[in-house]
Amino acid sequence: MRLEFVKAFVNSTTEILGDLLGSEVAVRSMAMQANPSADREVITIIGLMGEVQGDVIIDLDQETAEQLGGFLTGEVAHGMTPLMKSSIAEMASMAIGRAISQINDNGTRLTMTPPNIFTESHLRHHDKQFETLVAPITTAYGEVRISVAIQDLN
Amino acid sequence: MFETLDSFNSNSSPMTCLVVDDSAFMRFHLKRLIRSFKNITASEATNGDEAITEYQRLHPDFVLMDIIMPGIQGVETVKKIREFDPSARVIMVSSVAYKEMVEEAFDAGAKYFIPKPVTTEALRKAIECVLGAAA
Repeated sequence: MRLEFVKAFVNSTTEILGDLLGSEVAVRSMAMQANPSADREVITIIGLMGEVQGDVIIDLDQETAEQLGGFLTGEVAHGMTPLMKSSIAEMASMAIGRAISQINDNGTRLTMTPPNIFTESHLRHHDKQFETLVAPITTAYGEVRISVAIQDLN
Repeated sequence: MFETLDSFNSNSSPMTCLVVDDSAFMRFHLKRLIRSFKNITASEATNGDEAITEYQRLHPDFVLMDIIMPGIQGVETVKKIREFDPSARVIMVSSVAYKEMVEEAFDAGAKYFIPKPVTTEALRKAIECVLGAAA
């Protein structure tokens, strides 16, 4: 796993959360896992293609998702409505898009898929079995967890 | 030629904008920002094909165009809109903004590029730029 790419995804997610929320966010820890997994209620998956392949998974519990979505939309959340889900998916897309931009500008060709968001699905097993770095990010609204599961094709 | 968006709007008939993004939240957010400017009305399209149809129907003053969308992507959509209307004013709005992609968007005919997340001021500057350049 290319650690500079992993760092780019974690850093960009932290930056975007800070930019959007206007409050302090922090990476509490980082840990390696054998496979990607996500067990919280709201899961966004973005696929990566190019010289590196894999997925970035961002998962959070429903209460955090509703609070984040409510802040982004300026509306009181009443469950994970389509607009709330879209706001979480777009937040993930902005975070991963910023990292993709940096990685491409540094010479590695990499593209991303549009985000897919799942709610109440408790995705415990993932079809791509790559070594995964997991980083919980603390925000004022709760924890946002990013899992980077990538494989270098070169 | 006008100095600012507000001075342009105060002396003119309403401007029209087409917001193209597959994300419901981004369409909501961009239309919310547009509403904060005076005298601009916004319509929306959720993908490239719909954007081309709506552009031909509405002839908006400017377009806000996402790049990464399911189906026909933003850059290809800009090319098709510019084939129909070579004077189309398109502002690209994208979470992915690496040098090659930005160049590709400008080569396709886009007039301005805003990386997401989009702020009111970044959008104001972009609109003033594309409308001012064409005035």
